[in-house]
Amino acid sequence: MDSLDYSQQVRDRFDRPANAGRLLGPVISGVAGEEDLGTRIEFDFRLRSGVVEESAFRVYGCPHAIAAASWVAETARGRRLDDTSWMDPLKLAGMLDVPEHKLGVLLVVQDALEAAAGKCDESEDR
Amino acid sequence: MICSSDIIYMDYAATTPVDDRVARLMCECMTRDGVFANPASRSHQLGRDAQGRVEMARHEIARLLGASHTEIIWTSGATESDNLALKGVAHSLREQGRHLITSRTEHKAVLDTARQLEREGFEVSLLVPADQGRVTAEQIAAELRDDTILVSIMHANNETGVVSDIAAIGRLCRERGVLFHVDAAQSAGKLPIDVGEMCIDLLSVSGHKIYGPKGIGALYVRSCPATHLEPLIHGGGHERGMRSGTLPTHQIVGMGEAFRLAGQQMESEKHKLTGLRDRFWNGISRLGGVLLNGHRDARIPGILNVSIEGVEGESLLFALRELAVSSGSACTSASREASYVLRALGRSDQLAQSSIRFSIGRYTSEDEIDRAVAIVAKQVHRLRGLAPKTPVTSGREAG
Repeated sequence: MDSLDYSQQVRDRFDRPANAGRLLGPVISGVAGEEDLGTRIEFDFRLRSGVVEESAFRVYGCPHAIAAASWVAETARGRRLDDTSWMDPLKLAGMLDVPEHKLGVLLVVQDALEAAAGKCDESEDR
Repeated sequence: MICSSDIIYMDYAATTPVDDRVARLMCECMTRDGVFANPASRSHQLGRDAQGRVEMARHEIARLLGASHTEIIWTSGATESDNLALKGVAHSLREQGRHLITSRTEHKAVLDTARQLEREGFEVSLLVPADQGRVTAEQIAAELRDDTILVSIMHANNETGVVSDIAAIGRLCRERGVLFHVDAAQSAGKLPIDVGEMCIDLLSVSGHKIYGPKGIGALYVRSCPATHLEPLIHGGGHERGMRSGTLPTHQIVGMGEAFRLAGQQMESEKHKLTGLRDRFWNGISRLGGVLLNGHRDARIPGILNVSIEGVEGESLLFALRELAVSSGSACTSASREASYVLRALGRSDQLAQSSIRFSIGRYTSEDEIDRAVAIVAKQVHRLRGLAPKTPVTSGREAG
């Protein structure tokens, strides 16, 4: 795959990234990556009884990073935040047609999700 | 305007479309009712006709460079010209010295050739341009040694468009008795060149950068005193033994016509492109955080290289897919590395990766410029809106 030859799902999420933005009020946030290194992901989750009710993401990164963050923010809804086993970077790579040299980007997305999950103990509903 | 698609073509520094007038002449030299014969076949009139066309084209190249037609060698393009200049001189003068000087911001055709010469035992000094992308004569003077045999500095940089003071470097090299090669692929036909006044011994040019065909180029080789080159290609003794191989009449005729037209239109095109480039810059710099890469004034009019703060490079390039632009130079954009040219100018990896080269040309219109500004503004706003923060300064700076 050429460096600018993205799958249709990546194209769609890049052009119309659902859940992009910031949640106001009490939320659990997870952050990973550095802009200087090319990828930074931030998630906000609002929970009810430990379950994600609302989610949002911000991203500095390549189209694959944007698509992956958008997918995670969308898929997290209705799931318990303290269980992130559904986020498998290899499966996500297959789904989005992410080339092998970009797998690191998906690990940053996973790190940001797990950073938020790690804060679940600190507070109940937010 | 280029009508073949909805994409706005802003990659003229990578290549240009063949001018219709050039294409018509080329077509006259390919089919059985045209001048198709081998220009080396001097035993019959058809061959001599082809040779006549080749020599007319050679005169056009020479005229634009202030050279004699006897000093022009046809090649397959500027890459081969650069190879012939560097390797030809190095192999010819290896008994006199083994030191060459060039800069880190040269085209890969020069840098990779210099690396090959290093593997063969030559020493190469690589200068970091001192003046916002410009290599100065003072820098060259500091590196010259008794065993220096060649200095190779490009006229206009292919990524930034920055122009170095070639005449000053040429005078220095001539005083010191060192051969001076110039890669003029980006400047020929766009800036005045006089190889005599600029004290240039070897100069590489290409057809496809100025509305001629791809696959043809030339090397100016100073004849008085004779500059000795060891050929790269043997077989037939064409081009005074410096470059064997049947001459492609149609491509040579096309390059000759392209150079003739470029000479005629140089001033008017320079004026037009400067206006369009400034219009584009004024439009996109209003976004804030748009940094001009390279010298503000010493640059050719058709290239504008900018880094855009707060957006990641690959996303920016994909977001701008309604524009045909380059991220760094076209020759390196297949790699994941940040532009080595911009890194040499001191840009961070992040800003080098978020750099875009916009290059405009003969068929660019004001309407295209205005549409391009609108597209850049929309997409930069959108990507910055997705980002965790918008670390954008309001300054416009040259780096």
